[in-house]
Order: sequence, then structure tokens, then C-alpha cells
Amino acid sequence: MATIGHNNLNAKLVLLGDMGAGKSSLVLRFVKGQFLEFQESTIGAAFFSQTLAVNDATVKFEIWDTAGQERYHSLAPMYYRGAAAAIIVYDITSSDSFTQAKKWVQELQKQGNPNMVMALAGNKADLEDKRKVTAEEARVYAEENGLFFMETSAKTASNVNDIFYEIAKRLPRAQPAQNPAGMVLVDRPAEGTRAASCCS
Amino acid sequence: MSSADHDSDPPIRLDLPPLSPSLFDSEPSSELQQQSNGSAARPSSYPSSPTSSGYAAERGSSSTASSISQVDDVLHHEIQEITIHDSQPQPPSHSSWLPGKRHADEDDASISWRKRKKHFFVLSNSGKPIYSRYGDEHKLAGFSATLQAIISFVENGGDHVKLVRAGKHQVVFLVKGPIYLVCISCTEEPYESLRGQLELIYGQMIVILTKSVNRCFEKNPKFDMTPLLGGTDIVFSSLIHSFSWNPATFLHAYTCLPLAYATRQAAGAILQDVADSGVLFAILMCRHKVISLVGAQKASLHPDDMLLLANFVMSSESFRTSEAFSPVCLPRYNGLAFLYAYIHFFDDDTYLMLLTTSSDAFYHLKDCRIRIETVLLKSNVLSEVQRSLLDGGMHVEDVPPLPSSGSSPHLSQHRLPSDSPEREPNCHIGGVAGLWHFIYRSIYLDQYISSEFSSPINTPKQQKRLYRAYQKLFASMHDKGIGPHKTQFRRDENYVLLCWVTQDFELYAAFDPLADKALAIKTCNRVCQWVKDVENEIFLLGASPFSW
Repeated sequence: MATIGHNNLNAKLVLLGDMGAGKSSLVLRFVKGQFLEFQESTIGAAFFSQTLAVNDATVKFEIWDTAGQERYHSLAPMYYRGAAAAIIVYDITSSDSFTQAKKWVQELQKQGNPNMVMALAGNKADLEDKRKVTAEEARVYAEENGLFFMETSAKTASNVNDIFYEIAKRLPRAQPAQNPAGMVLVDRPAEGTRAASCCS
Repeated sequence: MSSADHDSDPPIRLDLPPLSPSLFDSEPSSELQQQSNGSAARPSSYPSSPTSSGYAAERGSSSTASSISQVDDVLHHEIQEITIHDSQPQPPSHSSWLPGKRHADEDDASISWRKRKKHFFVLSNSGKPIYSRYGDEHKLAGFSATLQAIISFVENGGDHVKLVRAGKHQVVFLVKGPIYLVCISCTEEPYESLRGQLELIYGQMIVILTKSVNRCFEKNPKFDMTPLLGGTDIVFSSLIHSFSWNPATFLHAYTCLPLAYATRQAAGAILQDVADSGVLFAILMCRHKVISLVGAQKASLHPDDMLLLANFVMSSESFRTSEAFSPVCLPRYNGLAFLYAYIHFFDDDTYLMLLTTSSDAFYHLKDCRIRIETVLLKSNVLSEVQRSLLDGGMHVEDVPPLPSSGSSPHLSQHRLPSDSPEREPNCHIGGVAGLWHFIYRSIYLDQYISSEFSSPINTPKQQKRLYRAYQKLFASMHDKGIGPHKTQFRRDENYVLLCWVTQDFELYAAFDPLADKALAIKTCNRVCQWVKDVENEIFLLGASPFSW
């Protein structure tokens, strides 16, 4: 088992999306296994970490759960800068949130790391009767833009772990192609000196 | 008895002579004595009592031109009609406070909305609603436009509207560039207090958005600011709630959690360590009380900024789930720029805020937090904090009956059972000489200490009433028109209130309404002495950030 030591990855992951789409709920379901019917608005951004075992490697996610409110949009680069992965979340019962999600994808394509693993999450999949965004529409959009797509439900836990697991699986493959933003993926035991990469 | 009293009254080591009855007799403000007689004779709500009519005459006419009286008439008609309903019993609202926006379905056509005792509105100078304490902002567009019309009507005449009195209601206006704030209240709070509350609401908005929000209005006068404040209702409702329980909102001072000197020193030392590594402010708090804080050199933190920051952090549940990194603005420090705050709760009550100017500092601040947490756990600070929360701070029952007796007292040694001996003969409840409660504010330290509430100030309703009485007392002591004053003794059907202001401190004390004046004064001296004796434990001493 000691052989997996050098396969440990730290990966910065950011969640983006409209307010109320369920970013915090997804993270809390993934990290703490909790769900709150009334999840209060996130202020600024909340930081979580969670480790996943994928094949022979462990991936330690450093998760930035950003606030969806408009006032924080201009601050988003602070959180997605250098991220190895992003989950763009929308609410399947809100067309506006899907529109907003597309804007986030555009922004990341322009500003973000080109090797970033991007996932599109159609959250609140349990609210089928209130659906406004079809899975087909989202899937087509995701394919066109090189994202992988899943419908999730933080409430029922459906696909929540799966989406993080899928990201983790795709990460190691992206790893060798690291470029300037590679500071984020720190191989802890091997490069201890770089562990403080984000300190100024 | 009399000799004992003399012994108990040594000229305490204060810079000023102790408070004495003769001080009151020589006090030139006979008006204040009249006031207390007046309000004792009549119910305090009687509209023509000297206190309230004095206000109306002074404020209503002094600041504004004749245009105001017209406005007054208009509003008067409308609000008169509402006050009819006010005579009906109100549902109890203060017994338990629920966070967040309530009654969002109401608008200005709802009777229930009109019956609310205290409204706060924020609107833009084009009349667009930004915030309302009650009701849906969007449904209140017409009402906001009316408020805007009143303000601009007066401004067009080259004047500023500050206050309109209409029957029991006061309408207080505050203009902050493109943002207008209005309070409509029938709570009989002084104008200065209500205006101060509007200032704090504005400050809270700046904490969230900075003053650069003004630029949005310069670009587009019809700018709708509500989306920018999305999700912050709870921050404002919590601040407004604090206007009825947190003395910091009118004292402009902060309060510390009582702790042994060494414990606070241990916390301060590690915070200082961190501050030396590029943190602007490191603040460790328990609820709204400071455990310790340090600032970088030359950086000073205003108590109002602390109040607003603590309210922002405590009211937002999202800070409790994990570590957070959020932009915040300190209006008194620099209203134009964001700082970045690392926020972490060690437990339900105790939290750390590390403020920096660098948006990249998260991982550094996270490391700082881990270091701080290790030290706090090792030196038992966190468990001491929990113990202090349970024990409370100063209890009026513990005011030393004889200051000369016993050695230098400590808070913990005074935690006596309620059957403690040596009580003054004429009181059966509260502390010495019928002392019910006190607040001591140190002027140099910008800190205050409030005694714990005890019998008979037990219920939230009674506490709120006492809080309002202090607020009124504070306003009258600092009134620029008739003040400033050094002492005030006021007796009404609820309390004897005694206030003493020196260069060093302000003392506000509430006694049984039947309390003896001479004894009350003597007790105040004892309280001041007691505070001095335990100042190491109740105040943060030598805190540099506040020396401006």
C-alpha cells in the first residue's frame, strides 16, 4: 500500500453557479453527508477539503464553495485562479440558472486554466415535476463545450459522490500536462517545499 | 452605621473626587430634576410630558424650514389613522427573536405592516427601494417613492429634512450620498439614537459592498441595488434586533468576555505573533464579546466597525460550516476598499477573524489559524471561554458591600450565593441599595462592561425597557443643546437611573424606584471601585489598535 504514496494529489476545485442552485448543498452532501432543506446563502466563499481514493491514487480536494450572489461575481477569479477542476451548478427548475451556468463556462474558458476539468451539474434532479431545463439540452451543451454532465440531487444524494469521483478520475490524466497553473496540484510528499504555493 | 458609611467612602483612587450627593445639589441643571418629577407624576407615554414635548419643539423646528410643517401635516393625517389600531393589544414580538426577514408578504396597504412599531427603510435617491425591515421591498416601491419625494422636496428648498414628528411617530431621515435611510418609529427613542441606528445600517451596507457602490448610481441613477444585497436580510434583521439589546450600538464601545488576566494575555500573545506576519487585524471573539485582538502597527479599529463585523459574521450561518474567506469592508477604517477576512468558528460561540489586504492570503491565514488553535487549546483558553460564558461577568449581587473589607477582589471570588450577608437593609432584591443593573464605559479603552441581568430585570421585555432607558439617558447626557452633563439622577415609576460622566469613564446605573438617593450614590462609588479592582479581568488592557 505504501506505493500509492507518490500518487497523492491535491486538487483545487471550485464550485460556481447562480445563487440558490445548490452549490453549498452539493458540497455539504459530499463532505459531511448532510442536507439542509433551508441552506443559508454563502458569504464570500467557504473552504472544505475531502479526500477520495481513485484507483491507485488518493485525491485530496480543496474545495472552494463560492457565493452565487451578484456582488461576488467580480471576486470569482480569486477563487478559480489556479483551480484544477470546476463544477458549474445550475438548478434544473430554473432556466435563468442554466443561462448563468453558461456564462460561468464562458468565463472559465476565457480566463481559467485550459486543462481544467469542468463538470456541469444539473442540481435538484429530485424536483422532476418542476423541471425547466431538459437533461438533453444540458447534455448537448456540455458536449459542445467539453464538459462532462450529470444531473445531481443533494437532497437524495443522487450522483453527488459520483460527480466528484468522476472529476478525481479525470484529474490524474490531466496531471502530466500541467502548465503555469500547475502550482495547485501539489504532490505533497515529493515536493514539500511547494506545499505553501498560495502564500504570498 | 454612619461611621461605617464613612469608612466605606474613602476618596477612591480615581482622578476625580467620588460622586457625592452634594454634587447633585450643586448641579445647575434643575431642568433634569424637573423632568424626573414630571415623568414620575404622569405616565411616561403621556404626550405632553416635558421630555417629549421638549424634543418636538427643539428638533422639529430647529433644523428645518417651514416646508417641514406642511409635510408634518400630511404625514400626520396618515399616521393618525393608523394609531387607532395601535390601541389594540399588540401580539408579543420580543419574547423570542427569530432571525431573518419576517412578514415578507406585507406591504404598505397591510394593516399589520402599518402597526409595526419601528420601520427601517433604505432607498436610492431615485426612490427605488433597497431594504425594508418589514414587507417586500418591491411591493413598497410606491412608499419608497413617497419618502424620496419628501426628502427631495425639502432639498429643493436648499434644506435638509432630519426629523418629522407626527403624533406618536418620529420619522428620521439620513442622507448618505445616493442612498437614503429612513426610520419610522413610535418607540419614543431619542432622535439621536434613531439616527445612530440609521448610521449603523448604512455602515453594515458598506461592510458588504463598500462605498464604491455609489459609482453604480453615478453611472445609472435608476440602478437597482437589491440584487447586490441578495441573501443579506438576516444581517440587517440581526443588526436591527441588536438595537434593542446591545449597548454597543449607542455607546460606541466594545465589551470583553471576562477572563483571567493570564488567559487573555495568552490569547493576545499568539494573536500578536500572527499579526507580525502580515495580518492587519487578528480578532478572537466569543459571540459579541472580545476575547483578545491585535492590529498591525498604526492600524486602528473603531468599535462600530467591530460591532458591524461581528454582526455580519455571527448572523450568517454559512460561516459556521467551515472555514470562510470573504471580502469585508470596515467603513471607519477604509470605506472605499475591501479587506479579506478569514473566518473560522472554533465552537458555536468562539470565532477567529483574521483580516488582511491581500486576496491571496487564504492559505497563509489558514496556517495562522492552525497555529492559533494549537496555542489556544494548549493554554486552555477555549475551555476558559466556555466557563466564562456560563459564569457570566459582573453580578450586582456581588458589589462589595464594604470596599475596605477583604483583599483585592476577583470576579470568581465574588460569585457568592444569593444569601450573601451584609446586604443593605432596605433592599430585598438585586444588589446593594437596590442596585439592579449597571453599565460602566471606560472612555480611554473604548470598552464597556455591563452587569449581568438578574432579578427583577429577568424577562426580555424588562431588559429591553431598561436598555431603552439607558439609551435615553445616554442621549440626554450627550445632548449638545442642553449638555454635556456630569451627573444625572432620574426617578420614575420604573427605576431610579443614575448617570455619572467623568473624563475617564461613564457609569449608568439602574436602581429600585424606591432606592435612597444617598445610598445609590454611595453604591455607584463602590461599583466604580469594584470595576477598577477587576479591570484586568473585564477589560482588554494595552490594546494598541484602539489608540487613535
